[in-house]
Amino acid sequence: MTTHFISAEVDLRDTAEELHSAIEIELKKHGEPLRWAVTDVDVDRQKALVEGYVLVEASPVAA
Amino acid sequence: MNPRPLTVVLIVPTGVGASIGGFAGDALPVARAIAQISDTLITHPNVLNGAQLYWPIPNALYVEGYALDKFAAGCWGLQPVHQNRIGLIMDCAIEPDLQLRHLQAVDAARATLGLNITDCILTDRPLQVELRTSESGASWGTIGNPDSLLRAADKLIAQAKVQAIAVVARFPEDEGSLALENYRHGKGVDPLAGAEAVISHLIVRTFKIPCAHAPALSALPLDPHLSPRSAAEEIGYTFLPCVLAGLSKAPQFVTPAVGQASCLSQVLGGQDARPTTTNIYTNRGNFESASQSLWADRVDAVVIPATACGGSAILSLSGRSTVQIIAVGDNKTQMQASPEKLGIKALQVNSYLEAIGVLVALRSGISPASLGADISSLRCLSDSIKQI
Repeated sequence: MTTHFISAEVDLRDTAEELHSAIEIELKKHGEPLRWAVTDVDVDRQKALVEGYVLVEASPVAA
Repeated sequence: MNPRPLTVVLIVPTGVGASIGGFAGDALPVARAIAQISDTLITHPNVLNGAQLYWPIPNALYVEGYALDKFAAGCWGLQPVHQNRIGLIMDCAIEPDLQLRHLQAVDAARATLGLNITDCILTDRPLQVELRTSESGASWGTIGNPDSLLRAADKLIAQAKVQAIAVVARFPEDEGSLALENYRHGKGVDPLAGAEAVISHLIVRTFKIPCAHAPALSALPLDPHLSPRSAAEEIGYTFLPCVLAGLSKAPQFVTPAVGQASCLSQVLGGQDARPTTTNIYTNRGNFESASQSLWADRVDAVVIPATACGGSAILSLSGRSTVQIIAVGDNKTQMQASPEKLGIKALQVNSYLEAIGVLVALRSGISPASLGADISSLRCLSDSIKQI
């Protein structure tokens, strides 16, 4: 098991709840989200800048 | 008829350089003041922990950040307790003398405060904490051996039946660094805070019980210019007493059973995961009455630094029309996530004093807008204008 820091850009959504879901989906591509936050918003590009860290379980070792 | 209790969430994210609450428990006065006008205050260790200093607030719930996010999302409930049985995990990388200092802090908390701290375990490998700073300026960190941390927690829960876990990890000495010098002088970002959150989040996520962390560090040389905001961390040998005091009455979590979705609100179309049948929740039977548990639909207001509205809890709670988000302007942070940028409807105030005034108005059933000099005209919906 390891912890990893992730930076990502996520498209802004109509509601904060939809943005929450979109961020979790994006982070889950890298592991299990432990903690994250939108640190800024690029208003021109309509992108939320996200920093967070995820937990990655070790892959089972092949017998 | 009893009026609806006022439930307030106070958040000061850790490791983001908050000018109030970014140092050594320096948002505690804010928490004490808000608790005075709330029936229940829900807040987190970064707000309430002042190393050697803490303040017991009878109506405050000490909720670790990962659990607070789950609570805000409607996934977990909070179950108040009289007292938790606490276990202590110590990083085996801590030097013997420093280990002894921490054990003596535990003994002091048992003898002087009457806390129920029953068992201690050393990790089987050094945790190897490393500190980092992100591009935004927030602190974070990595743990080299998270499995060792989780093995220790598992033993404490399985063998000693503890209900809450305090962790003390050996943090790298940062003496002489600019970040530490700034921190001691009440500026910049707490370089340890982000890594501390990783540790407690790991345990809360895995075992779903309260957890908080105190770093183990050698004492620093005396600094005559130490900031009052940082001073609580330089009056003793450990940062542990506040953690033990907080955990002793931290609420337990009402969580979905194994095999259920991790957040039932997601499968119930946005409804809370409040238990409807006893078998949905693994630990519901441990509590005398699930009706005493607290869920996100009880939250009336959230107080947050205005530039730090991008966290999971705020995004979740902003979707509830009954929650008033109060964004405090003069608590500056390294973040740039304001309510307007995120499309979050919030009441912007300058200070915590003003936020407390807003809460008093809400509690009294008074619209905060009616207390200002200018009151806007009544808004008419477009299709009714012709009829008026």
